[in-house]
Amino acid sequence: MNSDSQLKEIDLDPELKEQLKALVLERINVMPDTMRIAIGTTEVAKSDIIRHVTDEDEIGKQMIEMELEFLQALGSGAVYTNE
Amino acid sequence: MSRSIVVTRPHHEIVTKYLCDWSKEVVDMARTKGLEVFDLDGTKSTRRNFEGYVKKHSPNFAFVNGHGNALEVAGHENEIIIDKECNLKIQIIYARSCEAALILGPSLVSRSVDTFIGYTRKFIFGYDPSKCYKPLDDVLAKLFLEPSNLVASTIIKGHPAREANKRSKDAMYKNFRKMISSRATYEERFAARWLWSNINSQVVLGDPNCVF
Repeated sequence: MNSDSQLKEIDLDPELKEQLKALVLERINVMPDTMRIAIGTTEVAKSDIIRHVTDEDEIGKQMIEMELEFLQALGSGAVYTNE
Repeated sequence: MSRSIVVTRPHHEIVTKYLCDWSKEVVDMARTKGLEVFDLDGTKSTRRNFEGYVKKHSPNFAFVNGHGNALEVAGHENEIIIDKECNLKIQIIYARSCEAALILGPSLVSRSVDTFIGYTRKFIFGYDPSKCYKPLDDVLAKLFLEPSNLVASTIIKGHPAREANKRSKDAMYKNFRKMISSRATYEERFAARWLWSNINSQVVLGDPNCVF
């Protein structure tokens, strides 16, 4: 599966985009409150990630892309093969 | 060219502190191998120092840690130390920095650098904030940073760049598999998606067979 082309498709479809965003926000919502991640020039907590995804800024877009790729990899079984 | 390496390790805030501390093992390893190591840690990680060392000593390998974007990599207090205009002759660069492989890497390998290893996305790692003053004790960050160190240490051991990339990715993948297993903690299982991103965004540009 080519995630780049799929992301472009999602960008063109506003309804699909909103559904994906809602899915990502639900998934981020179960992130442990004690965790932090270092991404780009900042360290972010769960609430920051939610804000970035909601705003669809640079970090938010990467978060959405990472979730999509991860879900695709889980679904396809790619996570179980090291290629 | 002399067999020497230059390492930039700014630590002006939490993220760079983690990179700085975790890079130390690479610096120490290089020294035990008798290599000349120019360790630009903390406030020494400036453009002036970096360019000065490279021009004077022509190191074979540069291990650059710090913030960055598609066009540049930064050092202490986010001063830009490598940008697209850089014409410094370095054999191999590994930039543990965000997105440097998107534009900066290809630009450098088209001119003065043989091989560039970096990331096409923001480099990301999970960490435990209770360990932020002792990053080396952070078992979550270790899952991300230890395999990424393998890029640098494998190059220093004299293996080709593609082998360094492979060993690093194999180690990341091994950690990833552990993180998605039932033995993992909830935090590790959640963080696995970010490691998956690093695995898929780490690339080798230029000559993959380049040897230090």
